[in-house]
Amino acid sequence: MAEPVRTRELRTVAGQEVWFDSEGFIWEPDDWTEGIAAELARESGIERLDDVQWRVLRFLRGYYLHNGRAPMNRELRNGTELSLVELERLFPDGIRMGARRLAGLPNPKTCLD
Amino acid sequence: MTDRLIYLDNAATSFPKPPEVLRGMVETYARVGASPGRSSHDLAAQAGRLVDETRARVARFFGAPDPDRVIFAANASDALNTVILGLVRPGDHLVATRLDHNSVLRPLHHLAESGVVTYDLAPFDGQGVVDPDAVAALLRPTTRAVVMTHGSNVLGTIQPVADIARVCAGRGVPLILDVAQTAGLVPIDMAGQGIAAVAFTGHKSLYGPSGIGGLVLMPELDVATTRFGGTGMDSASLVHSQAYPLRLELGTLNLLGVIGLGLGLDFVEGQGMEALHAREMALTTRLRDGLAAIPGVTLYGADDLRGHLPVLTTNVDGVHPQDVGAILDGDFGIATRVGVHCAPIVHRDLGTIDRGAVRFSLGAFTTTEDVDAAIEAMAVIPHGVG
Repeated sequence: MAEPVRTRELRTVAGQEVWFDSEGFIWEPDDWTEGIAAELARESGIERLDDVQWRVLRFLRGYYLHNGRAPMNRELRNGTELSLVELERLFPDGIRMGARRLAGLPNPKTCLD
Repeated sequence: MTDRLIYLDNAATSFPKPPEVLRGMVETYARVGASPGRSSHDLAAQAGRLVDETRARVARFFGAPDPDRVIFAANASDALNTVILGLVRPGDHLVATRLDHNSVLRPLHHLAESGVVTYDLAPFDGQGVVDPDAVAALLRPTTRAVVMTHGSNVLGTIQPVADIARVCAGRGVPLILDVAQTAGLVPIDMAGQGIAAVAFTGHKSLYGPSGIGGLVLMPELDVATTRFGGTGMDSASLVHSQAYPLRLELGTLNLLGVIGLGLGLDFVEGQGMEALHAREMALTTRLRDGLAAIPGVTLYGADDLRGHLPVLTTNVDGVHPQDVGAILDGDFGIATRVGVHCAPIVHRDLGTIDRGAVRFSLGAFTTTEDVDAAIEAMAVIPHGVG
């Protein structure tokens, strides 16, 4: 049984070279820009992020930058004023692979390594 | 949503703890919180007596004859490391199962990668049960031990350990059980069932605090010391004490944990293990039936809940299990466990290794209302998201 290795890949997104992990999360959250978010969104089937989606992404970014961590589930609900079911529906790839990934937050690797 | 928490993550740790356990821990520790087995003052002697009494209770609880062979540890993983590393010699072979937790798999993997041992994993069938014949087929003349889970923390299936113990005994191989999920729910009689050792934790269905567990050995199984330090005995010697239990213990014991373990045993014995299991399984059956009726919800290993723990693992089509867990928590106040549950081989066999799954695990304080709320919440997810 091989030891799990966290691999990364260098891609050019929105004219910028960015490292991504094997699940498509930005390796270094500080590399994130709104342009990268828009292009990642297009890759996931969202041609143009709407105001509500931007509000969610900006909340996630702001929370992360202020607190150094992602919001907990209830904080996410309260902060976005959306239920998590609504959030799941808002992004084709859901909360984790959609909202959180597009916002450039670190990969939440809880027991998935 | 309300602020009420519906806690369905008891396979990770039971919550809440019985109030009498928490209260008793504080009261007793405040009264006798000295260093057990050290010093000659009366308070240390009192603490030492309390530890000895708890060892005797643990031995009785698991059907083992010798309280001195109850070795306290931080948890089941710690105890498993102690027994595995203390048993093996270069060239040995070990057998475990594809149901096992990393508490078994990682020590074996480490030893194999280090070139010390080889090991094989027995498969489980479609119902999540290991066939004793499959274990028998893996035994070799060099097999030092069979080390396996008593109850899967992913599928909830209780393994036929008495039959596996018979197979092992016939070949002179000790059977070592990880009883992290079963202790407090399933009777374990080491002497009667031919089990050489059990590794347990105190904070799950024994309703004690985290940080206390242990290893219980039958007299026939000797385990070498692999960690060394102060024991409060033979202090003039640089050789670690070789009498049990100190042979496998070091440093000051977690007295507060030992007190909590004893009080947890009081709770389990007061409630009755069979009654606890029966009640939790009735609720688990209700949950299984409710989840099975929801289109888009997959259950794993839950067709037959006889010989089962109050654990159900599930996925929702098209929704990442981490998102299911987040929705249950954030929208409905329901705490579950998502991921691969530190049991990667099971998830590989289930085809869920990449994303994991959502585990519901019930406990002594789970109510019918909790279960019905979980079913209602799960019914919303495929509908609300789809």
